[in-house]
Amino acid sequence: MGNVRNVGKYQLCGTIGEGTFAKVKLAKNTTNAQKVAIKIIDKQMIITNNLMYQVQREIRTMKLLNHPNIVRIHEVIATKAKIYIVMEHVAGGRLSDKLSYSKPLSEEEARKYFQQLIDAVEYCHCRGVYHRDLKVRQIKNQRKLPILEQNIKLTQNVMPYFVQPENLLLDNKGNIKVSDFGLSTLQKPGNLLLTACGSPCYVGPELLRNKGYEGAAADVWTCGVILFEMLAGYLPFDDDNLLNLYRKILGAAYECPRWFTPSQKKLISRIFNQVPNERITVAEIMEDEWFQIDYKPAVGIDFQEKSNVDNVQAAVDSVQEGAVHKVIPQPPRFINAFKLISMSRDLDLTGMFEGQASLQTKTHDDNKKRIILGSKFTISETMQKIERAAQDASLSIERMDNCKIRMWSRLKSKCRSCFDLSAEVTEVAPTDCVVEISKSTGELGAYQEVLYCCILLLDISFLASYFQNTEPANSNRKTVLQKTVKLADRRNMQTSSEANVKG
Amino acid sequence: MGCCYSKKVSRAPGYEDPTILASETPFTVSEVEALYELFKKLSNSINNDGLIHKEELQLALFRNSKRKNLFADRIFDVFDIKRNGVIEFGEFVRSLGVFHPSAPVEDKIKFAYRLYDLRQTGFIEREELKEMVLALLHESDIILSDDVVEAIVDKTFSETDTKGDGKIDLDEFAEMVKNHPMLIKNMTLPYLKDITLAFPSFILNAEVENIEEDCSEIVRMDYRPGAQENKHL
Repeated sequence: MGNVRNVGKYQLCGTIGEGTFAKVKLAKNTTNAQKVAIKIIDKQMIITNNLMYQVQREIRTMKLLNHPNIVRIHEVIATKAKIYIVMEHVAGGRLSDKLSYSKPLSEEEARKYFQQLIDAVEYCHCRGVYHRDLKVRQIKNQRKLPILEQNIKLTQNVMPYFVQPENLLLDNKGNIKVSDFGLSTLQKPGNLLLTACGSPCYVGPELLRNKGYEGAAADVWTCGVILFEMLAGYLPFDDDNLLNLYRKILGAAYECPRWFTPSQKKLISRIFNQVPNERITVAEIMEDEWFQIDYKPAVGIDFQEKSNVDNVQAAVDSVQEGAVHKVIPQPPRFINAFKLISMSRDLDLTGMFEGQASLQTKTHDDNKKRIILGSKFTISETMQKIERAAQDASLSIERMDNCKIRMWSRLKSKCRSCFDLSAEVTEVAPTDCVVEISKSTGELGAYQEVLYCCILLLDISFLASYFQNTEPANSNRKTVLQKTVKLADRRNMQTSSEANVKG
Repeated sequence: MGCCYSKKVSRAPGYEDPTILASETPFTVSEVEALYELFKKLSNSINNDGLIHKEELQLALFRNSKRKNLFADRIFDVFDIKRNGVIEFGEFVRSLGVFHPSAPVEDKIKFAYRLYDLRQTGFIEREELKEMVLALLHESDIILSDDVVEAIVDKTFSETDTKGDGKIDLDEFAEMVKNHPMLIKNMTLPYLKDITLAFPSFILNAEVENIEEDCSEIVRMDYRPGAQENKHL
């Protein structure tokens, strides 16, 4: 009964992997012939093993992550008995297969994989996603065992740790794709992860000490093990006897092969620091000289893809609007009223979904995707002012055309991949413009900074009228404005003191 | 579907079969079920009755149930297809379907037209257009002189009202949107494509009959030594 070969619009092909709770099948999207991988999970199995929450978390986590080195989830389909997670298909096999020949990779290859892995890990950390395993049921069962024994049990039983070769796939261009966030989790800052987990050879010493640990530092250790393995062809910490293995890890006792260069040794020794908060951080790894060689941040790829989508849309629009312009030789002096109305934030239904996305750790009111500002200047003046605002906020800018600017954070030490903004200026009347600032990805701080700067530079005249209006719904905007005023005060003081100096 | 379940999960009063809703909208069955998770949250945020009231919609859109707003009122009215003062699940899904990236442009145009026809006369009149422009300007704290506002409205009106009868009808509106597709950009919510990822809790409640039965045919399909081996791992 039922249609055997199709799930929704996907045509199932052969099985490409199988585990305890799931199997992965290759499939083809019948609407665009794109190949996908579908993870098929038996619902009953998941329910009886109390893993429903984990599966949901995996899906939510993956939704948050859009990075060229992380496998994308396209959609989820569910029936009475099964759950189908439709994912990007990665064709090049697993990194662990490459490593299984017990032969080191070339330095260039190892570095490329490591750079991509660190890129992905940094991207995840910026979003509060840390990778680890957690099987609540097993951990509960083992609470009573003595600590070390308990940990041995744990690491034997839990599913593979996230950043380890089994979960690192290669696409057909030889790029790393991190898959299987099944058991990674979200961590609020300050909350130590309280569950030991991971596959034994890859876990950091703090996981074995059972005192709670910081996800970020634990991930760094694991990345170090992978780096070592790629360069050496064998694991840094390995022993048939688990107790011995743990002793080695706890003592950070490893030996570099003789072909390791001093810069490789230096990086590795900074990673294998037993004290988590003295260990090199992801940001510091990215500044390491060995890491920096030939380093191309993945962020470029990501944004390109995105802006391409934008550009295609823009191209379509401009072709269509261009046709109109031919009919009316003079560009309109005034904006179309419907265009103006369509910019209304009150007509924007996204609020309905955003408040709900429970994984967004910051469901701050300020976290609006876009904001509209008025400007009392001509379109070109307005553009210049936005550019200045962006520069004040230390952002890189790129003018897309006469009325659109893209902004992104410069390569600062951290969170480089977290941020992308665009500002679009529309002429309402010869001396009035509307500025629409929207963010496509991103961290909040820089976004607000640009907003303050923009508001500041564009027009402060409406502030007065604004503060008379005490509508509570606008409190978000009000805080923005209050901060702006503070900023404005500070700047005025600065300029006046500068003037004093000059005077 | 669902008929074979003896202990039926209690559903909201206006609940409709996801398979039927999926067949009438651009959503898949799973997407409709994911939307039901969203609907449950929205409709029980103030009144626990499984229906979306106006205050609940305002709360969802603006995080504030008291804020009176021209456009929110219109959105509510257009969603409330049966015009009984509440949005039921079926109305919710059908209306959101219009916002799906792959929904027909005609539907989006019609929806926008109904939104903008403030007094529901079947036409967009000059007064309504001006009212909406003023609402937008107010919302964005943009101060324009009355002359400028009048000029914008005049310009748009004369450009759109090709029949010159002093009101904009659906055909005229559709014609203008064809020339300026960006005007209905706000009728598309890219978010809807990811709805199953945003509300994965639907997988618990999914009740659709199985679409893929294990597994005899697949085994036959894979009947190659390598594939077989793989399966018995």
